[in-house]
Amino acid sequence: MAAIRQPSVLPGFGLTFGFTTFFLSAVVLLPLAALVLMAASMTWHDFVHVVFSARAMGSYRLSFGASFLAASINLVFGFIIAWTLVRYEFPGRKLIDALIDMPFALPTAVSGIALTTVFAENGWIGQYLQPLGIKVAYTWIGVTVALTLIGLPFAVRSVQPALLEVQRDLEDAAETLGAGRLYVFRRIILPTVLPALLTGFTLAFARAVGEYGSVIFIAGNLPMKTEITPLLIVIRLEEFDYKGAAALGFVMLVISFVVLLMINLLQAWGRRRIVAGAR
Amino acid sequence: MSITLDQVTKRYQGSPVVNDVSLDIGDGEFFVLLGPSGSGKSTLLRAIAGLAGVDHGRIALHGRDVTHVSAKERGVGLVFQNYALFRHMTVADNIEFALRVRRMKAAERRQRRQELLRLVSLEGMDERLPAQLSGGQQQRVAVARALAHKPEVLLLDEPFGALDAKIREELRRTIRQVQRELGITTVLVTHDQEEAFALADRIGVMNLGRLLEIGQPQELYARPATRFVATFLGAANLILARQTRDGIRFGKTAVNASAAGPLQGAREHEVVAVVRPEEVEIAPTREDLVSGYLTRGAVEEIVFTGALERMRIRIQDDQEAAPLSNGNGSGSAFLEVTRTQHEQRAFQIATGQHVAIGVRRIHILPTPLSSFTTCATTDALAEALVQQPLLAELASRMKTRISTRVEPKLGMPGADCEGAPEFSGTTVIAAHSDVVYQAQWLLKMGAEEILVLPQNASPPQRVLIHWADEAVRRATLAVAASILRHVSAEAIYIGILPQQTPVAQRPHGMRALLDARSEAQAVHGLEMRTELRFGDVSNELARQLGDMAGQMLILGIRGHADLAERFGSLFAESRWPVLIVHRQHESPAGQAGQLYQAGQA
Repeated sequence: MAAIRQPSVLPGFGLTFGFTTFFLSAVVLLPLAALVLMAASMTWHDFVHVVFSARAMGSYRLSFGASFLAASINLVFGFIIAWTLVRYEFPGRKLIDALIDMPFALPTAVSGIALTTVFAENGWIGQYLQPLGIKVAYTWIGVTVALTLIGLPFAVRSVQPALLEVQRDLEDAAETLGAGRLYVFRRIILPTVLPALLTGFTLAFARAVGEYGSVIFIAGNLPMKTEITPLLIVIRLEEFDYKGAAALGFVMLVISFVVLLMINLLQAWGRRRIVAGAR
Repeated sequence: MSITLDQVTKRYQGSPVVNDVSLDIGDGEFFVLLGPSGSGKSTLLRAIAGLAGVDHGRIALHGRDVTHVSAKERGVGLVFQNYALFRHMTVADNIEFALRVRRMKAAERRQRRQELLRLVSLEGMDERLPAQLSGGQQQRVAVARALAHKPEVLLLDEPFGALDAKIREELRRTIRQVQRELGITTVLVTHDQEEAFALADRIGVMNLGRLLEIGQPQELYARPATRFVATFLGAANLILARQTRDGIRFGKTAVNASAAGPLQGAREHEVVAVVRPEEVEIAPTREDLVSGYLTRGAVEEIVFTGALERMRIRIQDDQEAAPLSNGNGSGSAFLEVTRTQHEQRAFQIATGQHVAIGVRRIHILPTPLSSFTTCATTDALAEALVQQPLLAELASRMKTRISTRVEPKLGMPGADCEGAPEFSGTTVIAAHSDVVYQAQWLLKMGAEEILVLPQNASPPQRVLIHWADEAVRRATLAVAASILRHVSAEAIYIGILPQQTPVAQRPHGMRALLDARSEAQAVHGLEMRTELRFGDVSNELARQLGDMAGQMLILGIRGHADLAERFGSLFAESRWPVLIVHRQHESPAGQAGQLYQAGQA
């Protein structure tokens, strides 16, 4: 016990650790275990049938593909927005800063409906995209747009504090040493905020994979084409196929876990490489 | 010249943070910019580095005009207070950064890096990360990094600010050594006068965006020209005194000055004396003093600081001497004194003890503005004027006192003054429609500087300077320089030629203008802009003053008889403060600060 004795001035390690374990178990681990148990009660044949059906495979592709794309878009634009908010002082900055969090607070169904209204063929934006041959609502593009919207706050909020850390002094120092803007960005700014960028990406991705409410309004939900995995799970539930739903849920759990783990490993490796590298 | 600044001005939201700074720094010189925070010294350094643009003026490095050259192309090395090391890079990569940008070969880079690490005595630290180094080591790396590309100029922005005293001293020595070894022109910015003394070949003292004085450390300490420098470089007692034909007089006591300088102007007048705490002598009785007797006092507070004993002595008889300030702006009737161990052993003192005070050395500031006296027909009016915001602000910034004077017959033609025959310092009167007659009356009674204050005037943004007679040019410039050291304002000299000036005469006017500017700079350390106008003097000035709010006029005149006639319209509206500088005769040339060795009478 000596090793974990009193790590802070606040007493009660035993008590707090107990609560941590209890809540994690009650809220996260037990439901997940129930899910796995439910899926495990299926026969192997049934499981494979449900999980590798063409419809299920289509939904994985859309869910994870669109989530990845949306998170990537958020990575780039989230960085730009965070940069603007951190580096510049302009009228309305506070307002924009507050707006970033809107997707957090909005019921996802509301954002789904709003997006559909705007991007439908006769919507504000949709009517101009229509002649160009671009259909947003009821296609995979619409799904990506919805997932981008709900993931944006994660990207911006992760990068913002990291950008605050990149002091102007560092850029000034690099500039007096003869570095151009691109060089400063590549060698100084990017390495410093990269971990935060990856965190933002991870959070946006995780949020997008689990998103349901906003997508079902704009997706159109055509099996094999615009049907996301969470929706498929709900459909299975409505058919009282609890085991099928659990099996699909299990697959999502595994894929999400693997992706998140990979990003985390990448992050750790990146930190080491940046530290050792730049040579 | 390595660095040449010519009238560099940088404004922030309209007000100047760097105000008309001109400066030449020689090859291999170690120059220290010293000033309190917010004095504009860091902004000036960033302007030299190219990280902050300038709104006006030119910057040249080794004769090359770099005013519009980016920091990247300027070839300077800059060291920051918080090190600004790239934390994700090793020491080696940090130092090689500038070389890598320049695509130098790896072998050459390594060789240069080794050289630099030896220079800052950090051999073998190549592969460490900044986070693994102490603060002092990090700053050494920052110095090595700034020197890697062999810059022509090394700039240091408060480099010791984040370090503790011991490391600070060590790093200070390293930097001085590196600077000598490389012979590199260096500018260091600091607010610490001890640091400035220890490092500088020359020091430039900045306050309110202006470069007040430049000089060698000893020179600046012994003979400051301004109140600010006197009190910012070490401690100083500022004391109001009178300069008479026989020397310096404090109240009733004449200090026997063995080397009395020439009397400024024709008549005796009030001056500001600087007495360093270590130049004050303490003895049990007046007879025991070796130096000139000043006054008596009671010891109020004694602080032991190791080598020195520091004490505050309350002056006992206010009539005898009137100290302005002890240099920290607090308390008015106190003298600050320091004594060595040796002196302490010779005469032991306890708190509350009464002592005789003598001064070994007095330095007289060349400033023409010593103190303010508000003057009005009744006591209440004079008292009210003391509260006027501009006056109160000026007096507090100048660490001087405001006294009052009642003249019931103020402005009455033919009437005589009822107060003391002599006028001390600047006389202040409230502006109203007939104020010009009061001013004229005061001038006749012998006042030399009169400040006419509108009720709501605040510290000006712009100060216009004009003199009606070349004979008072020097005096007017001296007063203007003194005012402008204490307000953050632009100075503009307005030269006015009559409308019908023949074309052939105009170059002459231009010459006078340029002469005025160079005299202001050379003699008074005042940087000012100049403008040449044609037309009626009074109308032109009124028009300029009406242009925008927040302006003040400094008007030099010789002879007071026609003041109302010539300039009456300037005072009639009472919208702007006017400082009248009046001299009957031309001032003599030698106005530099004077030093007196005081000896026993």
